[in-house]
Amino acid sequence: MTENLIPALDPAPLPGPPWLFHLLWLVTFTVHLLFVNTVLGGTLLAALCPAARKGGRETRTFFVEVNSWTISLAVTFGIAPLLFMQVLFGRFFYSATILVAWAWLGLLGLLMVGYYLNYVAKFRLRAGRDAGLPIWLAALCFLGIAAIQVAINLLHMQPGRWSEVAASGWAALADPTFVPRLLHFVLAAVSMSGALLAWVAVRRAGRGGDAESNGAMARYGVRAALIATVLQLADGFWLLLALPEGVLRAFMRGGAATMVPLTLGILAGLGLLVLLAQIHDPLAQPTRVRRVAELLVGTIVLMIVTRHQVRDLYLAAHRTGEQVVVATQWGALALFLVVFVLCVGLTVYAVVRAVKDRPAQGEQAA
Amino acid sequence: MDYPIWDLAMGGGILIGLVAITHVWVSHFAIGGGLAIAITETLAVRRGDPALRELAKRSSLMLILISTVFGAISGVGIWVTIGLVQPAATSALIHTYVWGWASEWGFFILEIVTALLYYATWEKVRPRTHLLIIWLYFFAAFMSLVIIQGILAFMLTPGRWLETGSFWDGFFNPSYLPGVVLRTGICLLLAGAYMTFAALRERDAAARTRLVRLMAAFQVIGALVAYGGYRWWEAALPVSVKSLFAGEKPILAALSGTRTFLLWSLLAFLVIALFALLAPKAQRWPIAVVGLLAAFAFFGGYERLREGARKPFVIRDHMFSNGVLISEIESLNQRGILAKAGWAAFGTTADPVGRGRAVFRAQCASCHTLDGYLGIRALVEPVDADMLNGILTIMREEGAEYVSGRYTHKGHVATENLDYPHMPPLVGTEEEVEALHSYLMSLKAAQVAAVR
Repeated sequence: MTENLIPALDPAPLPGPPWLFHLLWLVTFTVHLLFVNTVLGGTLLAALCPAARKGGRETRTFFVEVNSWTISLAVTFGIAPLLFMQVLFGRFFYSATILVAWAWLGLLGLLMVGYYLNYVAKFRLRAGRDAGLPIWLAALCFLGIAAIQVAINLLHMQPGRWSEVAASGWAALADPTFVPRLLHFVLAAVSMSGALLAWVAVRRAGRGGDAESNGAMARYGVRAALIATVLQLADGFWLLLALPEGVLRAFMRGGAATMVPLTLGILAGLGLLVLLAQIHDPLAQPTRVRRVAELLVGTIVLMIVTRHQVRDLYLAAHRTGEQVVVATQWGALALFLVVFVLCVGLTVYAVVRAVKDRPAQGEQAA
Repeated sequence: MDYPIWDLAMGGGILIGLVAITHVWVSHFAIGGGLAIAITETLAVRRGDPALRELAKRSSLMLILISTVFGAISGVGIWVTIGLVQPAATSALIHTYVWGWASEWGFFILEIVTALLYYATWEKVRPRTHLLIIWLYFFAAFMSLVIIQGILAFMLTPGRWLETGSFWDGFFNPSYLPGVVLRTGICLLLAGAYMTFAALRERDAAARTRLVRLMAAFQVIGALVAYGGYRWWEAALPVSVKSLFAGEKPILAALSGTRTFLLWSLLAFLVIALFALLAPKAQRWPIAVVGLLAAFAFFGGYERLREGARKPFVIRDHMFSNGVLISEIESLNQRGILAKAGWAAFGTTADPVGRGRAVFRAQCASCHTLDGYLGIRALVEPVDADMLNGILTIMREEGAEYVSGRYTHKGHVATENLDYPHMPPLVGTEEEVEALHSYLMSLKAAQVAAVR
């Protein structure tokens, strides 16, 4: 019955080698996730940080200002992995999204509302008022998006659950890994945003910024990252043990390919914990704060690799006998590479000029 | 067809249309607005005109709030919607044009970053750098149009791709260049229409007159370019496509009405734009609002016409709107539609009416709802059993016409000669056709009453 519900492989050939799509998918997804983590974790930290607290207003201002950029960048860098994933797993992905169509469509509504609320919070703070309710509502929007994404991600990997979800959309939340996986996502976002906040505050203080407010921001960031990482370790094992037995077994028997990234990821998490626990005064320990941020990004990359492998294991049984035909469109692929290099180059050039170019004394600005 | 079916009372096509039309109103402004702002600030710097500078500055906030937020998210919204309503077609497009979309994404990165940079660097960088950023923005935005137009036009006029399967043959298809010209005109006219509101906020009367006239020039040029592009686009369409909405006896009266509506809307827009050009002092908000609505009506009408003109296909001469490929008609007639459409039978009974419902969901539900948009119950109400049998038989026989059709880069399947030129042929075994007949008859009020 289940196999009968899986759509046939698209008859058109793949326009490039599968490894290339996997690689592009992983690379672009990593960049996307770094922005997503800043949006989700940053908004949560901004909402949870009391405005009256020392450095509270600065923390909120930092995240809403940064997020007026990162939300756009998260959307922009979300397009590419979505595109490459559809080439490889479209039949599983489309089926899952159709089964929870309103939620998938609603995700865009939440995103748009969350983005505009962030702008409302930004203009309120610029006007000397507090971010107030808008930042809380934005945080709820982004949490809702995370829940929808996790539910669809789990659903597309498990055709065996499709008929159950077709009967009732709420069954999409019944997966035993849903809660630990969502928590895993949210906690990683909070850890990364906390580390980012601490790193920026330390840099600002180092460049002559107010030591008191920057110190408070950095401490808040480090504490948030520490708490989230402690919880993450417990949640990570919960998630691992909640995986379907077959998937877990295949993962453990995957040899170095699966065990190395996972083990390194867990070790990196433990290392993070040690590093964070050693930071008592972030402004006096700038190197350690920077190491935390670097290690966190490394951990996220490792976990993305593991996530990718878990998907393959989930779908392995449903893809046996899949005859993928490849007919690489070399000219179109070259076009993409040229355009990509050109656009990234021009983007970097524009950013550098915008940051460095300042009018001389007496010269008029734009 | 072999995907789950999203039962949407309003009809999937309507939802796609709503999302797509809203998006293109914004996205084309994002392109034309970029050019208008770039020209305005360039003139401001050269002439040392503070009013022009303020116009560019005021418009730039609107540009990022509309372009980087609404435009970006609604653009993803089109993908999401077509993936939900037409998954097979979306998959086919992705497989054919993934590198085209990926290239567009490259330009999109540049577009978004420069839009945000432009707004953030007012009064911070030198004018030269600021101008460089906005011109880069316009370049990226326009190039994304140049690419996406190839994919959009491909769906209506795939051209030589039908024979070669080549990316480039499909991309540079017969209606590609006309569409680029038409959309460029639309970008200009929308930019002028939107930015007129920013110009009207200028307090100095003399400066306001100058700004309104500049924006009117954008609108007039845009309207003329759009008209030329539209006529060229129509001329590039195959006879089978044009016969749906043009000529003495158009097949689809509603689509023909849309064509008339959009052309009159463009004329109304041009008249209002000329008025603003010749009498800028008399320009007021209400007139500008009417102008903007006329622009929306023209563009929305064109998009509806372009989408409607693909009937009965989603990719002309290749895939029907229900996801059935021309190449699989014969095979599906042999093995049955339900052998492929597993989801259509999900939750239905095994009796003839139940199987007929499954056939309906597989082949008809992409356009017809039960009681909502193009509701099938109302359509079968005046039809008796014999007449329905005749209709289904003809629709099934028409499949052979598609199979025997010859494709060249100019000719297409001559759908205008069919009895049901805007509907896909009925495919499946004879038993499935009979089951569909049973199901449709069961929807008639008399049948329902008898069962009760």
